[in-house]
Amino acid sequence: MVSAAPIHIEALAAERPEPGTREVVFDIGDLTVSYDGNPAIKGATFEVYRNFVTAIIGPSGCGKSTFIRCLNRMNDLIQGAGVEGRILYHGQDLYGRDVDPVEVRRRIGMVFQKPNPFPKSIHDNVAFGPRVLGMTSDLDARVEVALKQAALWEEVKDRLKKSALSLSGGQQQRLCIARCLAVEPDVILMDEPASALDPIATTRIEDLMHELKKDYTIVIVTHNMQQAARVADMTAFFNIEKGEEGERAGILVEYDITSKIFTQPSDKRTEDYVTGRFG
Amino acid sequence: MRTTFTEELDTLQASLSEEVELVLRALRGSINSLRESDPDLADEVIAFDDEVDALYLSIEQGIESLLARQTPVAVDLRFVLAVLHSNLHLERMADLCVTIAKLTKLAHGLPPDEMLVEGFDEMASRAEEMIRVALDSFVNRDVAGAESLVDLDELIDRTNRRVVEHVLELGGDPERREWGLRMIVISRCLERVGDHAVDIGEQTAYLVTGEFREFTDASHPERVDT
Repeated sequence: MVSAAPIHIEALAAERPEPGTREVVFDIGDLTVSYDGNPAIKGATFEVYRNFVTAIIGPSGCGKSTFIRCLNRMNDLIQGAGVEGRILYHGQDLYGRDVDPVEVRRRIGMVFQKPNPFPKSIHDNVAFGPRVLGMTSDLDARVEVALKQAALWEEVKDRLKKSALSLSGGQQQRLCIARCLAVEPDVILMDEPASALDPIATTRIEDLMHELKKDYTIVIVTHNMQQAARVADMTAFFNIEKGEEGERAGILVEYDITSKIFTQPSDKRTEDYVTGRFG
Repeated sequence: MRTTFTEELDTLQASLSEEVELVLRALRGSINSLRESDPDLADEVIAFDDEVDALYLSIEQGIESLLARQTPVAVDLRFVLAVLHSNLHLERMADLCVTIAKLTKLAHGLPPDEMLVEGFDEMASRAEEMIRVALDSFVNRDVAGAESLVDLDELIDRTNRRVVEHVLELGGDPERREWGLRMIVISRCLERVGDHAVDIGEQTAYLVTGEFREFTDASHPERVDT
């Protein structure tokens, strides 16, 4: 006789992230960013969840980098940049009067497209942030932990005094991640972190993201859609749209679970972009 | 635009249409061999299956290569998966035609029942129509057309059930009985061709809506929602 026991097919499917059950790290509402009065992003609203990798994808000029720079107030450093709307970080206004941008950037670190180590030793690169911020107790241990978290320790532990510039591009990028981790951030922003790296170094960075999201919240801007598909739990698609007066600005078209974006996007524009029928 | 990629997707669809034509030819051939009691034609149908198999394999390999090189997503991914499934259903249909041809050979020389043979001709026509509807719905991304396959399938199923009753009435003559038993299997083969056409319809619905659902559920008939 055939067994009547039910088969749990759900177990075979990939684990689907459940954003609704997650703590909100960034609550972004009607965000508009402009440079000298020209809007770069108009009216973006969405939430970034804790311990998720959130990918921002979209064509060049759609405001991806502008957006990610708002999350740790890097745009403060650009003359003429204006930020309107709401960015709450753990419920607190990121642009509030009493908020210290330096503290913001400690808690919300950033890794850039091109690895940019200081022309100093490997050790000093990682120790720099903690030193500046006065986190000097057990500095060597702090450096070691950060390098281990960035999956670089085994490769550099015997040459910590050597120049960071002697490392390969992929190692330099992981050093930059270690430098970011050394000041105990909460969020890591990554702006095209692997676009200057070869496929093997890229894989290492992607593997690292999977590890790091257990302890951190990661937001990544990427031109590489397959990278977003591989690493991200949630994906936001930004596009460029013409406004009423012909001005072009980035808008958020769709934000959803990554697998949904790459199998059944709700918006035709998202579908055209991810399938390469764009433009 | 990914021009090469789009062309490859178009080629896949064209190959699937070509496979449908081959299946229709095999089906018509197998039923004609039965009607005309023509074992040579049955042999042709059996040999012809190599062509279907070769096309099946080339579609399968095309998909493998496409997945490896082009990483389709969204509607393109659903299209590729739907072709992958439909390709297998068509190959199975061709196999069923081979079974019909083999049974025709086994039944050769036995006394046929003309009424039943006429009935098979009609069943095969319905199956042909279903295969065409399945392909047209797929090509036109027509969910309503795909869903209409369920009703068409019901007609074949009904005829299949009547065949058993008719064979039981053929009487006790061992040769007529043997012929009748062969025919029950042929009837079942035609009925299965219809089922595969419905399955292709389900792939069309998946391709368009992104949700896979069975049009009918044999193990839970009460859940049928179309």
